[in-house]
Amino acid sequence: MKLANRRIRLLLVSFAFAFAAMFLRAAWLQGVRAQDFDRLAQGQHEATVVDPAARGTIYDRSGVQLAIGRQATTVYANPREIDDPRAVALAVAKTLRIAPEPLVALLADRSRGFVHIARKADPKRAKLLEEQQLPGLGFVPEEQRVYPQGRVAAQVLGYAGTDNRGLAGLELALDRTLRGRAGRETVVRDPSGRAIEVLSSTAAEQGQDVYLTLDHTLQANAEAVLHATVQRWDAKAASAVVLDPRTGGILAMAVERGYDANRFPIVPRDYQRNRAVTDTYEPGSTFKVVTVSAALSERLVTPQTEFTLPYEIHVADRVIHDAHERGTERMTVDEIISQSSNVGTITLAQLLGESRLSEWMQRFGFGRKTGVDYPGETRGIVPPLARWSGSTIGTMPIGHGVAVTPVQMAAAYAAVANDGVWLRPHLVDRVGSNERVPVASRRILSRGVAQQVMAMMRDVVVEGTGTAAALPGYQVAGKTGTAAKPDPDGGYSKTRYVASFVGVVPATDPRLVVLVTVDEPASAIWGGVVAAPAFAEIARFGLQYLEIPPDAPTTMR
Amino acid sequence: MLLTGVVALNVAVLRLNVRYEELGRERAKLRADNAELASELASRAAAARIQGLARGSGLVPAGPDQWTYLDLRAPPQ
Repeated sequence: MKLANRRIRLLLVSFAFAFAAMFLRAAWLQGVRAQDFDRLAQGQHEATVVDPAARGTIYDRSGVQLAIGRQATTVYANPREIDDPRAVALAVAKTLRIAPEPLVALLADRSRGFVHIARKADPKRAKLLEEQQLPGLGFVPEEQRVYPQGRVAAQVLGYAGTDNRGLAGLELALDRTLRGRAGRETVVRDPSGRAIEVLSSTAAEQGQDVYLTLDHTLQANAEAVLHATVQRWDAKAASAVVLDPRTGGILAMAVERGYDANRFPIVPRDYQRNRAVTDTYEPGSTFKVVTVSAALSERLVTPQTEFTLPYEIHVADRVIHDAHERGTERMTVDEIISQSSNVGTITLAQLLGESRLSEWMQRFGFGRKTGVDYPGETRGIVPPLARWSGSTIGTMPIGHGVAVTPVQMAAAYAAVANDGVWLRPHLVDRVGSNERVPVASRRILSRGVAQQVMAMMRDVVVEGTGTAAALPGYQVAGKTGTAAKPDPDGGYSKTRYVASFVGVVPATDPRLVVLVTVDEPASAIWGGVVAAPAFAEIARFGLQYLEIPPDAPTTMR
Repeated sequence: MLLTGVVALNVAVLRLNVRYEELGRERAKLRADNAELASELASRAAAARIQGLARGSGLVPAGPDQWTYLDLRAPPQ
C-alpha cells in the first residue's frame, strides 16, 4: 500500500514538473518570444508587394511616342541553389544570347545568395528560359525605357538608366514628372503563394505623360539634312534649330553627329551633347542684325541712310576689313546688311557707342540663359562693358569676341520675325492633361523696326550673301554668318570656321525660323555656301509638311 | 446557422481576394502588352523609316512647283 502511495506521489510530482515545464515553456513562447515568432509567422504568410509606377511617355506634337516604357524581364539567381553552375550558365547564355564565361564564375560563387544574371532582358527570351525550370533562377518583370524613333531627337530626349531614372536630356529635366510614385500592397498569402487577404494598399501614381513642341517628322528631316551637309562639306559637326516665332515652340533641334538613344551606354559622351543648347560659337555676321536693330531703334539711322565706307577700318590697335576686297563705296544701311559689310556695321556700332551696344546685346538675350526647358543650358560669353578693350567696339558688333548658343540666336531672330516680341524658346508643350503654361515674353524691338530689319534680311536672300537660301514661291529673310574659330593659343584660326545661316519663312507672315550652324567645314567656309542650302532644304520641307501657303507665288519656277 | 453564414462570408472574401490578385496580374500583363504594341507602332510609324521605304520604292518628295493651294475664301464682290 505504502509502495503504491509512493508511486502515486512520484507520478503526481512528475506530472506537476511536466505541467510546470510546459507552463514555463508556454509562458516563454507566448510572453518572451511572442514578438519574434509573430514576426516570423508574418514573414511566412504576409508579403509587401511593390507596384512600380510606369514612367510617363514622351510624345511629340503630333502624338507620336518618342520615349516609352516597355516591359522587360530581369533574371537573377541564387548560386547556393545551383548544383551545376556550368550547365546552368551555358543554358542561360544560350537562351539569353550572352557570354557564358562571366556567368560560370558568377554562378559558381556560393558565398552570395543573390546575383543579377541579366537586367531588363528580352521578355520573350526570358520566358523561354523560365520554361526550362532551371534550379536557382528567378524572374522579375521590370519596365525598360525605349526610344522607338531610334536616332530621332536622341540628344534632346536624353535617356533613362537601368533604374528608370532620367540621366540626361529631357529625361533628366522632367524626371520628377515622368517618374511617378510606386505603390505598395501588403497581402496575406496561402501556402501556394496566392493572396487571400489584402491588409493595406497604396495605389501607384503613374508618371505623367509629356507632350513636346518637337515634331518627329521635321526633326528627322533636319537630322537627315545635317547629316548630308556634314558629309558634303566634310565638317566636324552641325546643328539646326527650327522655331515657331509665334509661340517660341521648338519644332526641331537637331545635332549631327547623332546616335541611337537605345544604345546610349556605348555612345561617346561627345555625341550625346545637345550642342544647340550647351555649346557656344562665335556667331560672326549673323550678329550684325543686333547692331543694326539697335541703331534703327535709337533712331540714329534709317534703312536708307548712306555711308561712305572704305574697305578697311582702324579700331584701336586693329585693322578690320570686309570679307571681299573692294574700293571705297557708298552703302545704305540696307546694303550694309545685305552685303554683310564689317566696316559698315562697325561704323553703325561707333555711332551707337559702347554703352548702348552693350545694352542692346543684353536686350536681345545674349549673355544670359534663354530659359529653354533643357538641362545644362549655357549663358554664352558676352564680356561686361567694364572689360571691353579699345578694339571691342570693332569686333563685337560683327559677332567676334562674343559667344552665343544656337538657341539664343534662333530666339533673337524669332523675336525680329514676331514683330519685335521675344518669346522664351521651349520644348515642352504641356504635361499630362494640364493646361499650357504661358510662355515668358518681352518686347525688344518696336514693330516698325522689326519690319525694317525683316525687309533688310529679305534683301540678303534676294541680292546679298544668302541667295542660296532662296525658296521658290516664298519670300525668305535671313542672314549669313562665317566666323573663324578662336585658336587655343590666342588669335583666330585661318583654317577652322563656323558657317551659319539664320532665316525666316515666309517673310511676310513668319511661321518658321531656321538656324543652321556647320562646325569646321573643310571644303568651303562661307555661311552662304555651306549653311544656306541646308537652311533651304529644312525650310522647304517644313513649309510643305506644315502646309504653309506661298507668299510669293510668282517666283514659283 | 450563424456559423454557416460566417464560413460562407469568409469563403466569399477569400474568393474575391484571389480574383483581385488575378485581375492585378492581368492588368499588369495588359499594360505590358499595351506598351509593347505602342512601342512597335511608334517604331513602325517613324518618319525616317517610312521615308527610307518610300525612297527605296522610287518615290521622291514633291517639289514646291508640284503642289498648289486653293483659296476657298469667297472672291470680293
